[in-house]
Amino acid sequence: MADAERIYEMMKKSIETYDSDAAVAAAEQAVAEGLDLVEAVEKGFANPIRELGEAFDRMEVFLPELTLGADAMKAGVAVLEKALNAQGGKLETKGIVVVGTVEGDIHDIGKSVVATLLQANGYQVYDLGVDVPSPRIIEAAESHNADIIAMSALLSTTMLYQRDVIELLKNKGVRDKYFVLVGGAPVTQAWADEIGADGFAHDAFEAVQLLDSVKEGWGK
Amino acid sequence: MNFKEIAKRSETGRLIESKDFLMKSVAANAMTLSKEYEITWDGKTFLNLDDDMADRCFQAGKELFINTGLYSMNSHRVVQFSESEVDDALRFTRAQVSMGTGKDQVTIHHRQVEDERKPFIFCGPFNANVHEDMFVKLNEAFSQEKIVDCLFFPGYLNEVDGQLIRPTSALASRAAILYGQWAREAVRRGGRPGMAIAGHAVMAPAEIASTNEEWGLRSTDPRAMVLISELQVDDVTLTRLAYYLSYGCPIYMAFTPLIGGYGGGLPGTAVVAVASFIASIMLGGEIVHIGPQHMKYKQQTNQHSLFLASLANQAVARNSNIIATTSHTTSGRPGSAQYAHEFSALALTAVTSGSNVSGPRPAEPLGNNHVSPLMGKLFAEVAHAAAGMSRAVATPIVEALYDKYKDHLDLGTAPKGQPFEELYDLDTLTPTPEHQALYDQVKEELINLGIPLI
Repeated sequence: MADAERIYEMMKKSIETYDSDAAVAAAEQAVAEGLDLVEAVEKGFANPIRELGEAFDRMEVFLPELTLGADAMKAGVAVLEKALNAQGGKLETKGIVVVGTVEGDIHDIGKSVVATLLQANGYQVYDLGVDVPSPRIIEAAESHNADIIAMSALLSTTMLYQRDVIELLKNKGVRDKYFVLVGGAPVTQAWADEIGADGFAHDAFEAVQLLDSVKEGWGK
Repeated sequence: MNFKEIAKRSETGRLIESKDFLMKSVAANAMTLSKEYEITWDGKTFLNLDDDMADRCFQAGKELFINTGLYSMNSHRVVQFSESEVDDALRFTRAQVSMGTGKDQVTIHHRQVEDERKPFIFCGPFNANVHEDMFVKLNEAFSQEKIVDCLFFPGYLNEVDGQLIRPTSALASRAAILYGQWAREAVRRGGRPGMAIAGHAVMAPAEIASTNEEWGLRSTDPRAMVLISELQVDDVTLTRLAYYLSYGCPIYMAFTPLIGGYGGGLPGTAVVAVASFIASIMLGGEIVHIGPQHMKYKQQTNQHSLFLASLANQAVARNSNIIATTSHTTSGRPGSAQYAHEFSALALTAVTSGSNVSGPRPAEPLGNNHVSPLMGKLFAEVAHAAAGMSRAVATPIVEALYDKYKDHLDLGTAPKGQPFEELYDLDTLTPTPEHQALYDQVKEELINLGIPLI
């Protein structure tokens, strides 16, 4: 157990120093020493990345640190997940999210922060990037068996693609399978209501809080 | 530098991924240079009073820009500039630009820190969503405020003929045409037919359809381009630039450095802001707008943004001829006293730091037409009153104003305000008695705080 604590500390340190190589090394050590890999993810990586996210919210660290910390976490968790899968196990997630900035819109920052903090808080996230055509968002949701579709729009004129995704979901008869979350500078609760989205968040922290609070309401 | 060289470099520059540009180039350089040049903030100061730090910030920003260049988001290539090219551009930057026509022609100047000259006033709906039925009336009401020098961003038409506009659709072209027609009609009705109109219609190449010397936007109207945070440009902007530079419009280049973003904390973001000022003139910008944005608050009157506006504007005012203007977005909305407290705090900060002013606008309008021409007038009056004021005099006033709104910065709890149609009599285009009373009350309050309003 002492070894486990020591390795969790190494993992934590790798997040705090934004060191992907160190995260991978710690994860490999956890696998080699036969630790409980699910617990290793939670105690070694998830807790420190959540703390980093909270520090970001308090403006004690900034986007570069959050990004590097998240990269380290992803690198370490990938090692643990691969080993877990090989053992026939599976990482528990709060939910599967596909997230992207809608078509015609190349703004990345807000969407990436949402993706990072959702991942930090136990969601399995597929980041589709920017300028994502509406059909591709739905294809990704279907292929990843997602619970949540999260869409960002930074321009008044690209918001309407959030509406289109929901309309397409309805037309395909799969609207009820997903919790649809919308956000972005011009997006408001009124817009979310108008287009029939399930949720609206001002920022990444609100997005996490909202999804955590409505977990029972997801379609599956 | 000639635009054709920019266009060429955006197709031939070094090919890298966006994340690498932002993390390895911008973030890493901003962090290193802000330390190397000893750019600091104690987390308490509102206005920078350290001239030497402003000068160091300029040098750091220039070095950052030379190191990083500008990222073309669509071609994924870096448009790089040499130091001598940057020096040349700075050397030949025009310190004044005229706009508008006839008796309505006006000139904007580069301003110095604590300059006695009145700042230039860009004021209008500032791209708040404006319903097509209210577009002309709302802009007419702004243009009839004589203190406004240039009608600023006549409003985002996100709907035309009852239809939402898709950026690359035929409707986007129609919206651009109507935007040009209606904006011109509005200033004509306001008695200022030659008044300059700054802005952009829709964020798409179709936007250039707003141009027409007879009924639309003219070569004497500044056209606005927006850089993407940080130090990035997209094809839409480059396409519009190619057209408007050739057509002869003054180029109004805007950028929004993100405090807490890839520049890191305030010192790094200030360095990024200076680099963005320089990037803007390299692209042909003649008036450069800084929107000191905050990752968390998503508006521009928080304490971080006030200091950023102060430091970055002073850096540019003291070390270049760049014509700077500062945008003002607030948490409080029109129809509330907080709206005025916020824009007054930032206007005092920006004007005493050598900037002109653009705005104001709520960061999160709650529906269409969420702006007030009367509050625009008060904003302009405060900006004029700040001319010649020292930073030392402005500081306690800014602090007192900040104290009034600091607990209501959150967009969810900030005053919801009212739209134009509830604040104005739409037949006479005059403020309602209640809105006029709010103006009178806040103005008296501002005078009592020490702002020399007439």
